[in-house]
Amino acid sequence: MAAVLKSEARAAVDAAARPNVLEGERVTKRFSETVVALEDATFSVPEGSFVSLVGPSGCGKSTLLRMVAGLIPMTSGTLAVRGEEVKAPRTDVGMMFQKATLLDWRTAVENVLLPTELAGRTTDADRKRAIELLHLVGLEDFEFAFPRQLSGGMQQRVSLARLLQTGADILLLDEPFGALDEFTRERMNIELLRIVDGIGATVLFVTHNIAEAIFLADQVMVMTPRPGRLAKVVDVPFARPREIDLITTAEFNEIVAEVRGILGGH
Amino acid sequence: MDVSPPADRTERRRLATRRVLTHLAIFACVLLVWEAAAWSGIADPLLYPQPSAIAASIVRIFFVQGNIWWHLWVTMHEVIVGFFVGTLLGISLAVAAGLSEILRRYMKPYVIIMEATPRIALGPLMIAWLGFGFSSKLAIIALVCFFAPFVNTLTGLLMADEDRMEMMRSMRATKRQIFWKLMLPAAMPIIMAGIRLAMASALAGALVAEFISANHGMGVLLTRYTQSLNMPSAFASLLTLTAIGFFLYRTMEIIEARIIFWQNDAEMHRVAKRRGAAWSSA
Repeated sequence: MAAVLKSEARAAVDAAARPNVLEGERVTKRFSETVVALEDATFSVPEGSFVSLVGPSGCGKSTLLRMVAGLIPMTSGTLAVRGEEVKAPRTDVGMMFQKATLLDWRTAVENVLLPTELAGRTTDADRKRAIELLHLVGLEDFEFAFPRQLSGGMQQRVSLARLLQTGADILLLDEPFGALDEFTRERMNIELLRIVDGIGATVLFVTHNIAEAIFLADQVMVMTPRPGRLAKVVDVPFARPREIDLITTAEFNEIVAEVRGILGGH
Repeated sequence: MDVSPPADRTERRRLATRRVLTHLAIFACVLLVWEAAAWSGIADPLLYPQPSAIAASIVRIFFVQGNIWWHLWVTMHEVIVGFFVGTLLGISLAVAAGLSEILRRYMKPYVIIMEATPRIALGPLMIAWLGFGFSSKLAIIALVCFFAPFVNTLTGLLMADEDRMEMMRSMRATKRQIFWKLMLPAAMPIIMAGIRLAMASALAGALVAEFISANHGMGVLLTRYTQSLNMPSAFASLLTLTAIGFFLYRTMEIIEARIIFWQNDAEMHRVAKRRGAAWSSA
């Protein structure tokens, strides 16, 4: 558990000081001659940083995430995690989806144990850790509930615990709370920050909500559609941990305006 | 879990008892009217035997002569074996087709032809090929039981949602793991619906097969009683089949609730409790 709760609060933004865990150069994905999902995206993600990908539908943000996950191949360009080209899903990269994608016939803790089970034998330590992770995401007393007995927000909590159980430290989150109501989403975002700060994970977070993208991230990759392009990377200089009041400050809204300006041109 | 106050519960039980009594009273009335119709000559008792005669026949064919047991055994034996053979063949072939796109493509025209053919029309051919005995009945019932599980299993396997597939792949699950841990359990509800349909057609298939040609079985018994105008016994045989059908249906329902427990609230709570208990004792 020590590794999970390593309370090493992220220093503000000293991105330059940390090595890049993810580097993409001219990453392009074409689904056909005419359908270009992503064109020439060049970017790098420093270890331990939280990067949001924001943009309207069709800007290629989910496609980019899936290529990093090794779920779909790219058409051209290079994409490397920790210096190795991505060819297939890796153990240090984990993904979470908009839908909880839980298995209905497994209890919460059995769902959390799925990645362990897929990798080989499940030990008592794994079981203990799964329960601890469920507690970490705020699901005491629901370890043996089936997904159908849980609310949408609680299902996503299980899904987050399952992601943490994989042991991956590069987390790809594809609109993980997009299906939840506004209030639940806000609360989940704050908890997500607390948890990923705690484990020092690198996060790529896809969303189409500008304020959410900025509130969570050290850097915002602003993407525009048809063809999908990475328009600009915007730095977010606020210290962590962040309070929700941040979104009412003038500095915050300046960044919102900047991002909106980039998106508005398209 | 019942959390309502005790007074409320007694009240509900009282209402339930009353409802059962009303049902029984209506049923008794129907029997009385029927009996009276036969007595008064409105309905010809030779063709439409009165309930008392049917009841007497039931006692006779089950306990006095006891001749129904052998036929019942023959039919049930055919039904159970045919059901298992047909269902297992259907599911295994669907699994193979579900996993192999090539197999699926080349099988498709035959499946469409077979599906368009009324399976029971193959009955006389089966009897010509396999004789009057058990094997032709087994073949007919298996044929009748094949399609629903086949089609449903294939549909269920191909329905697996893309998000959960990606989730499994992102965790580096092998093809085998994806099949056993995701595709098959996810398809279980629709597979079970197919199996339930097969169970219902198995009994019907057995009877039709026996009507076509056989020396033993409930179909034979029913034909013999009807042809000799022993209507009370024909009705008694029919009621026996109704009871069997009901029993098979209920059994399937219970098995289904156990297998796909996560779709049934009561079962789900039970399993959740059991798994919680097993966990803390491990």
